[in-house]
Amino acid sequence: MIKVQFFSLLRMLLKQERIELSAIEGETVAQLLARLQKQLPTPFLHKLLDDDGRMHAGTIILVNRHNIHHLQGLQTPLNDNDVVAMFPPGAGG
Amino acid sequence: MTADRYARQVIHWGEENQQKIADAVIMIAGVGGLGATVSQLLVRAGVGKLYLVDDGIVDWPDLNRQLLYGEGDIDRQKLPLAKERLSAINSTTEISLIGGQVDKNFVMPTDLNAVADCLDNYSSRFLLDELTPEGVFLVHGGLEGDHGQVLTLQAGQSQPMSEIFAGACQPEGSIPVTPDNVVVIAGLMVNELFAILFGRPKLLNRCLVVSLADFHMAFLDV
Repeated sequence: MIKVQFFSLLRMLLKQERIELSAIEGETVAQLLARLQKQLPTPFLHKLLDDDGRMHAGTIILVNRHNIHHLQGLQTPLNDNDVVAMFPPGAGG
Repeated sequence: MTADRYARQVIHWGEENQQKIADAVIMIAGVGGLGATVSQLLVRAGVGKLYLVDDGIVDWPDLNRQLLYGEGDIDRQKLPLAKERLSAINSTTEISLIGGQVDKNFVMPTDLNAVADCLDNYSSRFLLDELTPEGVFLVHGGLEGDHGQVLTLQAGQSQPMSEIFAGACQPEGSIPVTPDNVVVIAGLMVNELFAILFGRPKLLNRCLVVSLADFHMAFLDV
């Protein structure tokens, strides 16, 4: 299984903190997001990606605690038992 | 009696921990919303020494949440005001002022136990984290609207903040910040700073994500 966690505004938008999906061999973060969007009733992909499928600034995506910016971005491959976290941190102070 | 100043908190955490606070040296990076409250709480608790870093002047939009300043301070530099107000609260805390921004030329003090990241932009935060001496704890706070987060990193042990928050957004224009959320996040930061001084940080590599919208808290491990 892959555990997906939603934080802050994403949690509020989706009205849930987490979801577990079966792992699919070779699946990437981008493919997981597309699968999530089909499964969840609330549109959320537009908060993460632009029309060309590139990430907006704002929400960080961590796979097993590591930001995908420092992995393979949206093409980061996922494996069984991975934890994917999505979090739009606050910038003010 | 001045000896009674800490009586109510010593009942809670004991003389030994009070001494740890008295011996502590903490740098407050940014004396705006978060920094004004974090520094005030630390001074009230009896912290030994504070470094305050800021280069701002007081402006009207600051007054909703920057608790050290008032109407009579408009257009005045924040740092001398902060020192004056904090010293009036507790004259036993040594306060050193570092005017200027956290940039690549910034020189970190070498006697720090911890750094409080009370800045308001990610590029300065990343530099602050990069400059923090190895082994020193950095408590990050950030907020926006009804949401906020607190995270502790230890230089040399934790992932760099620039890696954790890569891709985080620095919105154009003003960031929505309310007095209630600032005080909540600042209070949590100070609680974590005490925990660090007492030798048991609770948020090391663990981001506490807070939503006032529904009083929800969750941990994000990093």
